[in-house]
Amino acid sequence: MDYSDTVERVSQKIVSRGHTVDKSRIEQKLKQLVEEFGVPSAEAERTVTNELFREFGITTEVATGAGDQKEINQFQNGEWVTTEGKVVALSSAPSPAIAQTGIFADKSGAIRFVTWSKANAPLMEKNRCYRLESAVVDEFRGVLNLKIHSGTVIKEIESLENIQPDYTPIDDLNPGVGSVKAKVIQEWDSTHERMLQSGLLGDESGTIKFVIWRDGDVEKLTPGSVYSIYYALVDEYQGRLSLNLNTATVIPEDEDIEVTSGETSFSGAFVHMAPGSGLIKRCPVEGCNRVLSRQNYCPVHEIQPKFVYDLRIKGWLDDGRNARELLIQRENVEKLTGINLEQAQEIAENNPLGMDEVFLRMRDQVLGKYLSCRGREIEHRILVSECAFDAYDPAVLADLLNRAGGDE
Amino acid sequence: MNEQQPKTAPQKYSFEREPAKRVFAAELRETRIHFKDADDEKSPSYVLLPTGERCNRIFAVGTLTEKRKQGDQNLFYRARVVDPTGTFFVMAGSYQPEAMQQMARIEPPSFVAVVGKPTIYETPDGAFLISVRCESITVVDKDARDHWVLDTAKATLDRLDLDGQTPDSARARAEYQTDPAIFRRMVYEALAQMKI
Repeated sequence: MDYSDTVERVSQKIVSRGHTVDKSRIEQKLKQLVEEFGVPSAEAERTVTNELFREFGITTEVATGAGDQKEINQFQNGEWVTTEGKVVALSSAPSPAIAQTGIFADKSGAIRFVTWSKANAPLMEKNRCYRLESAVVDEFRGVLNLKIHSGTVIKEIESLENIQPDYTPIDDLNPGVGSVKAKVIQEWDSTHERMLQSGLLGDESGTIKFVIWRDGDVEKLTPGSVYSIYYALVDEYQGRLSLNLNTATVIPEDEDIEVTSGETSFSGAFVHMAPGSGLIKRCPVEGCNRVLSRQNYCPVHEIQPKFVYDLRIKGWLDDGRNARELLIQRENVEKLTGINLEQAQEIAENNPLGMDEVFLRMRDQVLGKYLSCRGREIEHRILVSECAFDAYDPAVLADLLNRAGGDE
Repeated sequence: MNEQQPKTAPQKYSFEREPAKRVFAAELRETRIHFKDADDEKSPSYVLLPTGERCNRIFAVGTLTEKRKQGDQNLFYRARVVDPTGTFFVMAGSYQPEAMQQMARIEPPSFVAVVGKPTIYETPDGAFLISVRCESITVVDKDARDHWVLDTAKATLDRLDLDGQTPDSARARAEYQTDPAIFRRMVYEALAQMKI
């Protein structure tokens, strides 16, 4: 295991407070905790940090006072704060170490809060307002959090007014908590049994993936409908944002809104069908879905004899000026080639060429033909949501004849 | 060490594929000039179409009228693909195994779609032979052929309309000195053969 990131973080905390610390000592302590004592690495990091803080006399220095009273949008990493706001969402605790988690909001913004079980703090109720004294702001996975610990004083206060949040255009969302007014423009197949629904939300500025996990009495969104969504968690994964709606207050709206399709259209001749098209096998491990090699090898989960069959076509569409890479998924592959998954499996099983035979038959159906497609463009590749062969249009002929004969 | 680098360095921009130009056989037959943009061995080579555009790859749909297998050790196919203006000479050799196998299964006459790279040979007596090194060849229907004729007519007219306004177009005007009206007429005649 590599401790260098953790060591760097811990030493940074010490150095930023004006002390010097030997990194190899930090690493040794971490290593001992994790490897000899089986302490989870996050906990080991905390232990070592606290130990060093005590050693340098930092703890008392930081813990003095309850911190200034601040509004949520002024919070900074590592500070102690006193703040007033409303609990606008509660979500189920992901771990027994956490007593309660949810979203705390004031008129300036909203932040996720976590109450440690060890804090023995009174649980807060949704839609009530509280004053929190001596809570700690810290950063977890790049997003600020409010930590309620044993030293935090929680007092219920009278209702605050005007904390209805403003909508943020989807394109301007940042990791943390966000509110949007958006339309459900796509519903995707669940990739995980704990997932109730996932899909795409859009407004005028852009689109974003949304996820609702199965949890309590959450409900699905209706594709095509518009919702006001307050206090959703904006997560970031591999540079892409998504909205987790489990914490959100979702209110259906009667109106319709303009939505960028986020899709490109492209027409041209299908000039190349790439290897990896046709009948493919996918890794059956939940949430993996990677394409297996011929020997059923998944790059992550190794040999998977109980693979799942799927169809796809990868290739290039070319309009004579530009060539664009396409990824066509099962439903559209079936439509284009007239071969469905069941038939493809049958072909593969009853043919000496096996899966190659499916590739060849599909290639003969699609290659060299004119296609139009629409889809989202991801990393220069169009993920096709809709496509069809172009029909010959004789009306074009008359126009072209006029153009060509114009000089005569 | 340095030569290894491009392979291991993360690719920031996805690979740009050379588009397949739409060109009639009669125009391709007049093509004489070929060039490379850079001296680098891997940089793409182009032919300069007389209507004024560089071309690394073509897409053509026509009728496969004749197919011949040649060579013993180095087996390859030679085929003639006919469009409304003339004939494409298409070759598929052992460096294009996929195209060769496709070619082996097609019986003339049939409508075929060809994707390939144009190459120019100059014979010792100064004649030029232009052939298309085939990347793929598939059987298509008449609809696809008709579609291609319109597509190619439009692309050719678009190139002619640029008339010296791009560097490639200016160069073609200077090098070929062909009257653009000839190609306009070629397009008109190709279109006139189509049933309205």
